[in-house]
Amino acid sequence: MIQPFTPEPIRFVAEDGTPVQPLPERYTPEVLRDLHRLMLQAREFDRKLITLLRQGRTTFYAQSSGMEATQVGLARSIRVGHDWVWPYYRDHTLGLAMGVPMAELISQCLGTNSDSCRGRQMPHHFAAQRQNFVSISSSIASQVPPAAGNAMAQKYLGVDEITVCTFGDGATSEGDWHAGMNMAGAAQAPALFVCENNQWAISTSIREQTASETIHIKAKAYGMPGYYVDGNDIIAVMEVCGYAAEQVRSGHGPALVECLTYRVGSHSNADADAEKHYRTREEVDAWLARDPITRLENLLAHLGHPVTAEDRAAMIAQTHREVDEQVLAAEATGQPDWRIMFEDVYADLPDHLRQQEAFLRAEQTGGRA
Amino acid sequence: MTATQTRPEAAPMTTGRTINLIQAVTEAIAEEMERDQRVVLFGEDVGARGGVFMATAGLQERFGKNRVFDTPLSEASIVGAAVGMAVRGLRPIAEIQFADYMGPGFDQIISQAAKIRYRSGGQFTAPMVIRTPSGGGVKGGHHHSQSPESYYTHTPGLKVVMPSTPYDAKGLLKAALRGEDPVIYFEPKRLYRAAKGEVPDHDYVVKLGEAAIRREGSDLSLIGYGGVMPDLEKAAGALAAEGVSVEVIDLRSLVPWDRDRVLTSVQKTGRAVLVSEAPRISNFMGEVAYVIQEQAFDYLTAPVGQVAGFDTPYPYVQDKVYLPGANRIVAACVQALNY
Repeated sequence: MIQPFTPEPIRFVAEDGTPVQPLPERYTPEVLRDLHRLMLQAREFDRKLITLLRQGRTTFYAQSSGMEATQVGLARSIRVGHDWVWPYYRDHTLGLAMGVPMAELISQCLGTNSDSCRGRQMPHHFAAQRQNFVSISSSIASQVPPAAGNAMAQKYLGVDEITVCTFGDGATSEGDWHAGMNMAGAAQAPALFVCENNQWAISTSIREQTASETIHIKAKAYGMPGYYVDGNDIIAVMEVCGYAAEQVRSGHGPALVECLTYRVGSHSNADADAEKHYRTREEVDAWLARDPITRLENLLAHLGHPVTAEDRAAMIAQTHREVDEQVLAAEATGQPDWRIMFEDVYADLPDHLRQQEAFLRAEQTGGRA
Repeated sequence: MTATQTRPEAAPMTTGRTINLIQAVTEAIAEEMERDQRVVLFGEDVGARGGVFMATAGLQERFGKNRVFDTPLSEASIVGAAVGMAVRGLRPIAEIQFADYMGPGFDQIISQAAKIRYRSGGQFTAPMVIRTPSGGGVKGGHHHSQSPESYYTHTPGLKVVMPSTPYDAKGLLKAALRGEDPVIYFEPKRLYRAAKGEVPDHDYVVKLGEAAIRREGSDLSLIGYGGVMPDLEKAAGALAAEGVSVEVIDLRSLVPWDRDRVLTSVQKTGRAVLVSEAPRISNFMGEVAYVIQEQAFDYLTAPVGQVAGFDTPYPYVQDKVYLPGANRIVAACVQALNY
């Protein structure tokens, strides 16, 4: 039985890999190895995309290194393609773990013709219809009221889906966060809110963000359970999110889960050297020592199924190869041309857009098309 | 100068009933809820109370609390929830009690509703209607009287409409609900009970983007929308008594708007006066004026005239002075005629 409102984050595995409470049977070595593979893949995806960014082949990237247990664990707690997800802009690991093809994520980052979002959003703002992974808005917390509405629609339709809504700690200061949480609570909608508390909103620390001791206790004010979990312990994340998701699904109303984790990298390319400006190297080092991938490796070693250096190197090489291939494949499809500007503004093409399209066509083609 | 006449489309002659504008809104909602289970209606006090203007009276009783319900007092979550419901496959009608209170929902409108189709490459869409009473003339002071439509006409991805007759109110709302895009549907509150007219007994829609010619004329095109329309007709009547033939056009729909009908009219009359009650700077009519001078410059015999609200907050005591009114409209027409 998972309890809400615990004073300390719920944890199953200590940093050295020792279980602090009995692990449920479903965490077989094969399952743990699969989780490890996904987390390592996401970590290396970050590294490769940062390289692409430095090469000028993409223009924005928000890494989730250090947060893999939270995002992979959440993905493994829901019914992918059945449940709906309103994510935030640092959720590529969630997307990957939900089975959004790497090709789609990379195409979106590069804005190529292979991008299913048609090159209209800045990089790292994905949308994947097949996974019900709803298009990401940069406007912080603006996904929260729609997630409440998505869940209200599910309740109205009488389906057994839930809606998952993710956000960072900074989002919890926004009015829309309050509005959405309150709406979901009042409507008793099947929504699972997950705060990926990585303790930094660009350069603003959680201590400057709120005087509230934690995020999860805010759930109380919305009439829903608030769970507090060690977001770097993937088993704890899966146990808590899995439990909360099924409670939500079975008609108990919405829930909030706070995953306490850490953004070990910078916010984006806008603040490439965070430690120089607003946080200490010591703080980052302390969190690197609590790294979620290392913790899972320690657990596997403890269970007698260690990840060898060769295994690790092979998985890393495999991800690098895959990213390289997908980047080349995406780039080979070319960049969308001016025509995509006028599509999907509306379902139809109103006269004023038709005229503006004609103007741009003449300008761009020199009257040849 | 020819005598004025009324075209059939201005007041469709049917065997229907005479109702007021607010009844037209209620009927449109009820009929669409009847034909489409995906349509749900919510907002502040829309349920048992039936809305502060009674636009949703009786609907909760008829369709149940699942489909017609009151929400927390939060415009951001009303609009935002509508976006989420629409994305998940419903056809929500979100009522914002007064257009003056759309502010907290503004980001949901411009960042989510307006852009989700575009930014997702059409993978996710938000077909929804936000209904809200707007405009002055009810002694409401600035927080119950404003005309914020230009904020929304300035945001690609939104459609913006404002009826002035019961026929259009019903037909436009039905069309909006059957469309695939988010529509901001402004209801001119001072016409709620003042505007009466016939609606047919059969099902019909008024297509978005088509203006209506309320009165044909040859000397001047008088163009408006929403709450000012009765004043335009009154002004045209006064000018007709002086032998001036004024063509009165009701835009009905601002995005998209009917450039063809407006330009055809101005090319015929050579003069245009544009009327709205919204403040003048960045008023939507500025776009109409721009298109007229761009596309019909050679036809103009006078500068395009504009009667708008003043660039002050909407006043309380001077409510009637602030609004354009027939006299100010006549004066603007005379200025154009004497140019």
